[in-house]
Amino acid sequence: MLTKLPVIAALTAQDIVVASEPTWLQQWRQAAWQHVNEGAAPLWRRTDLTAFALTDMEFSATTSTSQLGSAIPDGVVVMPLSQAVREHGDLVKAHLGSAVSFNASKYAALNAATWRDGWFVYVPKNHEASVPLHLLQGFGAGNTLVARNLVVLERGAQLSLIEQYAGDGGPFAVVASELILGDGATLKYTSMQTWGANVHHMGHQVAKVGNDATIVWTSVNTGAAHQHVDAETNLVGNGSRVDWTAATVAGNGQRLLTAPWLRHVGRATEAHMDFKTVVKGSGYATFDGMIKIEGGSTDTVTRLEEHALHLSPQARSDSIPGLKIDTNNVQKAGHASTSGEVDDEQLFYMQARGIPKSDAVHMIVMGFFESVLDRIPLDTLREQVTADISARI
Amino acid sequence: MELVIKDLHANIGDKEILKGVNLTVTPGTIHAIMGPNGSGKSTLSNTIMGHPAYTVTSGEVWYKGQNVLELPVDERAKLGLFLAFQYPVSIPGVTVANFLRAAVNAHRSVAGKDTRETAIPMAQYRKDIREKMATLGVDDSFARRYLNDGFSGGEKKRIEILQMSMLKPSMAIMDETDSGLDIDALKVVSQGVNTLLTQNPEMGVLVITHYQRLLNYIKPNRVSVMMEGRIVREGGPELALELEERGYDFIREEVFGNAN
Repeated sequence: MLTKLPVIAALTAQDIVVASEPTWLQQWRQAAWQHVNEGAAPLWRRTDLTAFALTDMEFSATTSTSQLGSAIPDGVVVMPLSQAVREHGDLVKAHLGSAVSFNASKYAALNAATWRDGWFVYVPKNHEASVPLHLLQGFGAGNTLVARNLVVLERGAQLSLIEQYAGDGGPFAVVASELILGDGATLKYTSMQTWGANVHHMGHQVAKVGNDATIVWTSVNTGAAHQHVDAETNLVGNGSRVDWTAATVAGNGQRLLTAPWLRHVGRATEAHMDFKTVVKGSGYATFDGMIKIEGGSTDTVTRLEEHALHLSPQARSDSIPGLKIDTNNVQKAGHASTSGEVDDEQLFYMQARGIPKSDAVHMIVMGFFESVLDRIPLDTLREQVTADISARI
Repeated sequence: MELVIKDLHANIGDKEILKGVNLTVTPGTIHAIMGPNGSGKSTLSNTIMGHPAYTVTSGEVWYKGQNVLELPVDERAKLGLFLAFQYPVSIPGVTVANFLRAAVNAHRSVAGKDTRETAIPMAQYRKDIREKMATLGVDDSFARRYLNDGFSGGEKKRIEILQMSMLKPSMAIMDETDSGLDIDALKVVSQGVNTLLTQNPEMGVLVITHYQRLLNYIKPNRVSVMMEGRIVREGGPELALELEERGYDFIREEVFGNAN
């Protein structure tokens, strides 16, 4: 019964089209597909593109295992994105591709052209969702998951959203998340990459933040063999803000890269970024960040901290923070970065209280992540992730 | 049991700081080590406890039948040695309560036994720490704060004494506990130590200080003077008073002669 799936590289423009979809979406997919074929390979020097070769990826038109890890909060629209195309066509048309453009990279284009999975989440104007929403994405048929989430918060809406990639399979995941925050909206966004150890995870995430809107973004990256995530917060609205933290653990054989982009576009925008990384064994983690303060942005406050702990001599972490300022009116811009082994003085202090060295290292590392993990909104999930990380260090 | 330091030599890098320290601290006594800055006092306390920055080049430190220099740091603590730090480090993300519970349980652990068996019951731990915090005038909220993170100098020192009273060492080394303390904090901290001494009369205390001030509150039985990496003079409590009055120079002259 098993039929061999075609590899993605062998698809034609006609294969891309989903007959039941509206014309605008068919055309959008085809335009994206053209970019897959004709666009230049991305210039990512620290990501091994052979781990994401299109010739290795199989295309599957069957949908996979998108699940809900929680109940749907009252008053919030949650459904597969493909269903939303039929039932909320105008909303999807208005927002799809508005945050993650298929021009962003060949992989963003691949996602746009071939997605079959993922969610549509819509919070109406001034609606405050009372409980967190947990979207859980696993692998389905074929070796490649292509999933796209579109999250729209109207003016004044509030939501706590957890987006988690978990399980074994694949190994290829090419995913995208678009987060649209209307004026005064608040989104607590917890994005968790907790795949099994063999997965190759390629992600694009973009949040567009309206006037006086706030995104509290917590990113947890512990799984996968290879990760390349382009993550962007676009503070386009006046008075918009982001509070962005991340915890990354790269153990033996893992190469995890996060490229966070922060754009200050509106006036009086404020950003706090606090990224924490632990590398162990032959693990390799990269922070390839960029803060861009655009010409029209005034009274900007931006702060970036990134810290990496090395638990073994072979483990590596690279930090490439960039700052580009095109305005003369920055109120505050700060950057702090550290990287190295667990502090000797902290270790000595704990050992001097009778705590064995291995336990001391463990407590220090868990303490290092505490402020990030503490923000995971569901108790069971937080405990599970904490236990997972704890078991690995 | 006595703490016996024999001809202890220790370096930082290539520089010799301890140049043959001989010292015995008997149980149930408060033994002060006084000396000018740079005499090696803090090096001595850190070397006894096993700070990795110091290299012992020769000598021994005996306690309870073991040369503690051969033990890992945590084993020294479990043997009953306690160092109250001059500059306690902060450990973000680790609460005072969790840290101290780990420390208490480490002290209670027994080789070959499941730690779940030896661990202190949670209710008892909570009761203990609450009582001791109240005695030391430490607000309850500190239990949930990250260890020493953003604490004032006085708060850090109180937390050191809190740890000492929870861990009940048989030999405590107090490294410049008075530094950075105002007189009120000094009184509270000293009172904490004295209470502990009343409860554990067999505890030995090695008090390292630059100034006589602390010794008004923690009254020593013995006083040793340290200079240039050696103990150069020993005496009773009157020696501390004499140093307060005359400074260290007269001893320097007696020991090393007049440099001029």
